Amino acid sequence: MLHRIAVFSLFAGLLAGQTVAIGSRVGGLELQDLDGKPAPVSAWGGPATVVAFISAECPMSNAFNDRLIALYKEYSAKGVRFVFVDANVNESSREVAAYRVSAGFSFPVYRDPRSQAANQLGASATPETYVIDASGVLRYRGYVEDSQNEARVKSRALRAALDAVLAGKPVAVTETKAFGCTIKRARRTS
Amino acid sequence: MARLLAAGLMTCAALLAQGKLTPLDEGGFQKLIAANKGRVVLVDFWATWCKPCRAETPQLVALQNKLAARGLQLIAISADEPEQEASAAQFISSMRVPGTAYIRHAKDDEKFINFVDRDWSGALPALFLYDKTGRRVRSFIGETSMKDVEAAVAKLL
Repeated sequence: MLHRIAVFSLFAGLLAGQTVAIGSRVGGLELQDLDGKPAPVSAWGGPATVVAFISAECPMSNAFNDRLIALYKEYSAKGVRFVFVDANVNESSREVAAYRVSAGFSFPVYRDPRSQAANQLGASATPETYVIDASGVLRYRGYVEDSQNEARVKSRALRAALDAVLAGKPVAVTETKAFGCTIKRARRTS
Repeated sequence: MARLLAAGLMTCAALLAQGKLTPLDEGGFQKLIAANKGRVVLVDFWATWCKPCRAETPQLVALQNKLAARGLQLIAISADEPEQEASAAQFISSMRVPGTAYIRHAKDDEKFINFVDRDWSGALPALFLYDKTGRRVRSFIGETSMKDVEAAVAKLL
């Protein structure tokens, strides 16, 4: 076997140059559903798509579950597509499926077993979110909000980016630091 | 000097006993690195909610105890929210983490994160290694083999 998948945590900075820059077109995502079937995202529709990297095990990711559910309800009603991805190779499909139910998610959660989506977008943490506009251009990457504690939130950058894209305006803050847990990636080794 | 050090340790112990850590912003961080010139510094950003961080702590303490005499200085900085400060202090105390224990307390967390390493998202676990001149030479983001950390530290001692 020439290649095998090994678990390791990879610093996104190592991927500099391979990741999509703000204002650049985003390629397809090679995701899988929780039954292990391919669930590629090959085309970007309008008015916008949110890709959210989440984790079944990361407490910081889970601290944002209710806020992600609220954003999903509000913005999917406006036509925004949401793609939730658990890219942690140490979290099994069974675990993610159970988590999806316990978290009260009404939307599907996909896996990224080869870290293709995380690598392409440069995702390093959970939760980390991306806003892609109707033409497939990356308009925002970073946190959902700037604090785990809702009472201390000063910036709702994901919401602001979505509002700007939906209004056809430039996004004021295009990049924020997605604090949280590192994504446990897959690596091909020879 | 010894008196100052002893006073500092007593202050730290007193803070820990009260469930408090020493607050640190980017200015304080810069001074802390500068104050440790002449030593190899390993900065551990951790949080109570970060399971892999907690798992690494005893290994980092063991590394510090092993290499302190050769010039290693471990600095633990909690990235917890104020609500978790007491739990963080309790953990530091129970793990017998040597020296002053800090908690990130910046007006702007993004600015602090960028100050430490512009390529760091703030995700945990995260270790940053500084040489004896106070220059950051290595960042370990995510779960890291302690053998790799020790090897990197050993090269700088």
